[in-house]
Amino acid sequence: MSFIKSRLRMAILQSPIGLLAGLLAICMLFQSAAAIHAQPAEATDDLSDREERAMQVAVSAVAPSVVRIETVGGLETVEGMLVGTGPTTGLVVSADGYIVSSAFNFAQKPSQILIFLPDGTRLPAKQISIDNSRKLVLLKVDPPSPLTPPQVAPQSEMAIGQWAIAVGRTFDNGTTPNVSVGILSAVNRIWGKALQTDAKISPSNYGGPLVDIRGRVMGVLVPLSNMGGPKASALAGADWYDSGIGFAIPIEHIMKMLPKMQKTEELHSGLMGISLKGDLYAGEAIIKAVLGGSPANRAGLKAEDKIVEVDDVPVRREAELKHQLEPHYAGDTIKIVALRGKVRIETNLELIDKLVPYQHPFLGLLPLRNEPESAEGVGIRYVFPDSPAQAQQFRAGDRITSFQGKPVKQLQGLLEQLANVAVDEEVQLELKRGTDDLKIKLKTTALPEAFPAALTALAAPAATEEKTKLPTGKVTIRIPEAPNNCVAYVPADYNPAVSYGLVVWLHPPGGVKEDELIDLWKDICSERKLILLIPKSTDAAKWQRTEMEVIRKAADDVIGQYNIDRTRVVLAGQEGGGSLAFLVAFANPELVRAVIAVDAALPARTSVPFNEPLQRMAFVLTEPAVSKQSKAIEETATQLRANKHPVIRQKLGLTAKALTKDEIQDLGRWIDSLDRL
Amino acid sequence: MIRIPFMAGSLPVRLTWLCTLLTCVCVAAPAMAESKLTKTIGEVQPKIVKIYGAGGFRGLESYQSGFLISPDGHILTSYSYVLDADQVTCTLNDGRRFQAKVLGADPRTEIAVLKIEAKELPYFDLKQAAQGVEGTRTLAFSNLYGVAFGDEAASVLHGVISARSKLDARLGAYKSTYSGPVYVVDAMTNNPGAAGGALTNMRGQILGILGKELRNARNNTWLNYAVPISELTDIIEKIKSGKAVPVSASDLVGRLDRPLTLQSLGIVLVPNTLERTPPFVDAVRAGSPAAAAGLKPDDLIVFVDDRLIHSVNALKELLERTESDAQIRVTVMRGNELIEIPLEAAAPATN
Repeated sequence: MSFIKSRLRMAILQSPIGLLAGLLAICMLFQSAAAIHAQPAEATDDLSDREERAMQVAVSAVAPSVVRIETVGGLETVEGMLVGTGPTTGLVVSADGYIVSSAFNFAQKPSQILIFLPDGTRLPAKQISIDNSRKLVLLKVDPPSPLTPPQVAPQSEMAIGQWAIAVGRTFDNGTTPNVSVGILSAVNRIWGKALQTDAKISPSNYGGPLVDIRGRVMGVLVPLSNMGGPKASALAGADWYDSGIGFAIPIEHIMKMLPKMQKTEELHSGLMGISLKGDLYAGEAIIKAVLGGSPANRAGLKAEDKIVEVDDVPVRREAELKHQLEPHYAGDTIKIVALRGKVRIETNLELIDKLVPYQHPFLGLLPLRNEPESAEGVGIRYVFPDSPAQAQQFRAGDRITSFQGKPVKQLQGLLEQLANVAVDEEVQLELKRGTDDLKIKLKTTALPEAFPAALTALAAPAATEEKTKLPTGKVTIRIPEAPNNCVAYVPADYNPAVSYGLVVWLHPPGGVKEDELIDLWKDICSERKLILLIPKSTDAAKWQRTEMEVIRKAADDVIGQYNIDRTRVVLAGQEGGGSLAFLVAFANPELVRAVIAVDAALPARTSVPFNEPLQRMAFVLTEPAVSKQSKAIEETATQLRANKHPVIRQKLGLTAKALTKDEIQDLGRWIDSLDRL
Repeated sequence: MIRIPFMAGSLPVRLTWLCTLLTCVCVAAPAMAESKLTKTIGEVQPKIVKIYGAGGFRGLESYQSGFLISPDGHILTSYSYVLDADQVTCTLNDGRRFQAKVLGADPRTEIAVLKIEAKELPYFDLKQAAQGVEGTRTLAFSNLYGVAFGDEAASVLHGVISARSKLDARLGAYKSTYSGPVYVVDAMTNNPGAAGGALTNMRGQILGILGKELRNARNNTWLNYAVPISELTDIIEKIKSGKAVPVSASDLVGRLDRPLTLQSLGIVLVPNTLERTPPFVDAVRAGSPAAAAGLKPDDLIVFVDDRLIHSVNALKELLERTESDAQIRVTVMRGNELIEIPLEAAAPATN
């Protein structure tokens, strides 16, 4: 017996593993004693009890490292979300007073931070650093005596399904921390940055540790979201609180970054400045566009290059590339191997924290449409007044034959060349005017943010003999497996030789009277060559985000049947429909070229994507003189412009919400000019 | 209705909540323990009662939960609008339906005792109630969302006690008339119909009664909690024996006739322009108690006694609940130092 005792004591002293083993051994000793002297307990009882006790021991093992954080002052709401006054939780990571917590706990920008040590000592704290990539903050206190950092669980020992205990210190319960028990659900979540657990994670334990059954820290609890990209706010993901999906940043990573955080005020995700083709799971990692001035641009990467390796790790799909890139910080240098055709390109590049979005240049021209394939160069339909092109005497009827010294064959080629030109940049063009060849230099400006004052509609080309068999007028569009009804209006004189713009109208809450709507748009549709598509929400009272896919399918259906000009696909909507229009547009950037939002703002916490060189998107925000949404619409315009999207803001009548015919006239002219150069 | 914490529901949240709801039985418990767990649940279920009454409009559900506390048909439940009906119907686990009489209610603890005419019922003996601590594994039995009908057994959620804490309504953290200790649990019990259900340990011993849907105003999360039976035994006995004195909820929060004021202390704070203006001292009136105690302009008041002061508003609220002749201990942040200053208001001039 004494032998067992001393062995036990040694084990307990030596390690937390021993602590647990010792505990279990003690339990078993008790059990055998009980079995002899009292009625036999059911064996199963004890396993559950032992597990329960092991959890409590695990919590007490980490408890000395878990501190309460209180804040004074600060904002009441952040991004429209009420933020509480706390308290919140932090984890000691060094004896000399460094404490890690969740950035969520400081989103309100408090004027003072106070730390309550487990023994009740109160200490003022300073924020030393914030990691914007993993939503962590580092605090520092000057402790009167050394603090107790926790035991660290090596990630190599973590197994999916093992116990995971979330620990916080936010309730008024004396010295005991609050706990929630779950399992480790996943590792390498949120592109390799986080552990996942089904323990209940919320503001009650954000900033606290996720520990294993031995009380060793696996990670620090934070709200995270895989949506919103690297600029997502510290609150993103908090709406999943207590849902069974909770995240923790691995402690090994935190300890590795600690020296850097002690020296750096802000850490950011590292960005290289490429956009990919967009097929995250199936597609190879082929670069679609490289942002001017970005690290990728300086490293010489180009559109169509296929990335096959990052830091010697082979990359086959876009998702794999994202897994390699997302965990990196700005300032990290990575090695990229890409294939250009069969040529292997190896380059090192240093990631940066902030990309400057691309802004489209404006020459002041509208190209001709529906030109025969044999036509050489790009014909000019219209020259905008007060534009660079007008100042250089461009005329309708001229043909652009060369741009920056390279021959121009077709419009698409010209658009791609233009995507490498900035605003206020001087460009060289060659024109054919009748039989004359002209060389012209001009300096680009930014795209106009006003409706074109006058723009004559294009005359239809000589009527073809071929009569369309496609239905015209009010047409029903059916989407297999979707309950939604959709109708489209196709002008009665639809001519398959002419390309049509597509306007998708998302009705406001309360549904849509399609005949009235068609009546309103009918003339414009004929004049400006537009097809109006009217999807309907299944619940007339509101759109669901899940219906975005149906809207896309309905648009694809129309595009599949009719001759649609891809430069003039417009998502329009009123109130809730307008908010959804933004989301549909951002989810389908290769399809949507413009958004018209009537008395509607971006849904809360939606981040606006950067303007893309090859995927322009223009916006019209119209609102009644008095609107509850005014502030939100203002904010929407600011966000769009910050990311270099052209925005027209238009005030409607005092009370009118719906568009009038005059307003639709303006919109019609504008849509007719979306293929502007 | 499913609780969506901050924003109107995005789909993933709804789904996971539903999963939590449907995951009735201990997921991670080893197979060996399952039979025991099944047995425990089987023993508890017959004591759970489905209660139907008023409601059914404006998002108010017309059902809640309760459990038997005597073999003769005494039922402990939550005191709510559901009981405010001409007829309160109780459905037992075996499907039998009874009209219940509301014996009495206690608005302070938000419980009520019902009585049905039946004999030899399975029940929780409140004298055998257990106690739990942080980490104690629990089972929560209730008819949440009203999914169980007739002789269908109530829903069971498993979890642990997250914390033992106080619902201190005075601090504005919880809008509840009950301000005593609670078990906070990590099972999602803050959903319609769960109030009045039973929280037990893994042996099926009663720990507490599930509370109402309640928000924690300090961090805007929904609180999952149960009131320990030990807090209720006296009042339950009183109600059962007909000796309970009805309390009106408005009697519970008192206001002082002569509260302490910043004026009497001689403290002038910075203009209160924000919801959470930090309570910086703008000026200290000469000759005032604050001046005598050594309070200085630019001090940030962070504690009064041991209570953290988040804002000017919080400080004013706290003083309103403090007697004018009380001595208080103010802790201020001066530079990077916490300094404790005892403070007593000047005795009001007598004439």
